[in-house]
Amino acid sequence: MSIEIRNIQKNFNSFSALNNVSLDVPSGELVALLGPSGCGKTTLLRIIAGLETADNGSIHFHGNDTIHSNVRDRQVGFVFQHYALFRHMTVFENVAFGLRVRPRKTRPSENEIQRRVHELLELVQLDWLADRYPPQLSGGQRQRIALARALAVEPKVLLLDEPFGALDAKVRKDLRRWLRRLHDELHITSVFVTHDQEEALEVADRIVVMNHGKVEQMGSPQEVYDKPASPFVYQFLGNVNLFHSRVNEGKTHIGDIEVEIESFKETQNSPALAYVRPHDIDIQKELNGQKPAFSAIVSYIHSLGPLVRLELQRDDQFEIVEAEMTREKFLQLELSVGSKVYVHPRNVRVFLN
Amino acid sequence: MAKRKNVLPGFSLSLGYTLVYLSLIVLIPLAAAFIKTTELSWHEFWAVVTAPRVVASYKLTFGASLIAALINAVFGLLTAWVLVRYSFPGKKIIDALVDLPFALPTAVAGIALTAVYSANGWIGSIIEPLGIKVAFTPLGVIVALTCIGLPFVVRTVQPVLEDLEAETEEAAASLGANRFQSFTKIILPAIWPALLTGFALAFARAIGEYGSVIFIAGNMPMVSEITPLIIITKLEQYDYAGATAVAVVMLGISFALLLLINALQWWTNHRLTASR
Repeated sequence: MSIEIRNIQKNFNSFSALNNVSLDVPSGELVALLGPSGCGKTTLLRIIAGLETADNGSIHFHGNDTIHSNVRDRQVGFVFQHYALFRHMTVFENVAFGLRVRPRKTRPSENEIQRRVHELLELVQLDWLADRYPPQLSGGQRQRIALARALAVEPKVLLLDEPFGALDAKVRKDLRRWLRRLHDELHITSVFVTHDQEEALEVADRIVVMNHGKVEQMGSPQEVYDKPASPFVYQFLGNVNLFHSRVNEGKTHIGDIEVEIESFKETQNSPALAYVRPHDIDIQKELNGQKPAFSAIVSYIHSLGPLVRLELQRDDQFEIVEAEMTREKFLQLELSVGSKVYVHPRNVRVFLN
Repeated sequence: MAKRKNVLPGFSLSLGYTLVYLSLIVLIPLAAAFIKTTELSWHEFWAVVTAPRVVASYKLTFGASLIAALINAVFGLLTAWVLVRYSFPGKKIIDALVDLPFALPTAVAGIALTAVYSANGWIGSIIEPLGIKVAFTPLGVIVALTCIGLPFVVRTVQPVLEDLEAETEEAAASLGANRFQSFTKIILPAIWPALLTGFALAFARAIGEYGSVIFIAGNMPMVSEITPLIIITKLEQYDYAGATAVAVVMLGISFALLLLINALQWWTNHRLTASR
């Protein structure tokens, strides 16, 4: 079921949590709402669920206006960051809850409930925990039970509020891959909220980047990462080096060097922000004349893991440039703190200021 | 036996102190009551504690206390709910009012209730023509016991209700539960142990209550005479052994009832937390 969100406005007293937000969630897709804390992503999710009401705007589920339907009738599955399991009920009863509270007419028989709950517990691979109580489970297990509970009511839409936020790094990674596989199996329209760009990029079909109650950009992970629509999106999706510069007739200056920017041919002498990702910083020991480069001194080396991170002190300014390279390249260059290097930025991304 | 190391220091000292304290304040005085009773022969004891007037007083004391505690469980829960869930002008004042029965000398409560509920009082003058007599009847006893027991339920339930996660109710709603179902299946089980504790405290307090009841009860033998009053009456007639005999019976019943409630509490707690 698709979700169409139109002009949603939400204020908490004088604070504007959502400012004229519109977006479409196509049927069967897994969409991530990504943004820093306080950007309104959770509020938007809660409004979709009906746990919160918008001051203005509309939400349609598959073309039907939801404005008058209560959270009970929306047929949404909601998964909370802190699980919100019913601690006085066994895992089995937690999952069965949504079926047991149905009116007598539509309530499945006891046998049917047994069958369905065990099926769901098998789906989340926790059938063996059916008789335990939530406090006896680990965080990852609890969240999987919470997901099974939400799926029990056969929701048209699955909403997840920072579902992996309370878990440790390893479990979080496992669980988000597992969620992706589960979604590929079930194809239920899903929206999940996260502040972790890695999580969004890895799991989602489509990413909606939000900031200050507004949608900054939406698109596939590839689009959002490669063609960020604003400096905010660029910065939020990974580490960056920022250079304050000016653009004039398709050229910008970074330090002593000149970089061609095709898309700004018409621009006359305008202040601009130039961004380069650390892995797009090319480092050489010698100036070979082919590529324009500025000189710098290696001031810090962080060499844990497969990637080596360097901090470079520019000669011409007191600015630090961050660079990333493979371990192999690092060993080849024989760098140490204090080495003089030449820096060539690739893939410079310019936004007019 | 090897001496076991305990991380918390001062175990033997604090336990020793606790035992001495409990002995001086509770156990020895109670034991004295039992010893005093032994002045009576078994027959005399039985005759005193099963006298029709005394038996009627047991029924009134325990019956009225039970009803009062049940009323308090329901309306105390409601009061706690209102104080926790809603904000309204004057909330702080109502919150403070709840504690008043704790602080008020019980005799004052008794006199005030009698004044209001007697035939020419504010409320009494309205309901008496309708055929409801409160003052000087067992109903009056229930009213007095309800008044003094209220804070116990409110104050035990309130913090638990405050700690309740809003998310679990939202989860229940998103799963299709209506408000009644969320209340009975999610909220009530969570606050049940606290409610039971509040009920037990209100019940225990009501059994021992004397000051507020004797004014409004009218103290008619066989009708509105409570057991503590019987004991006082016997004391005033210098029948110490008889007074302690009735006291011992009351003590026994109270102890058994509280033990029962405690067992019930342990059972629900155990079920709730299930070896966490």
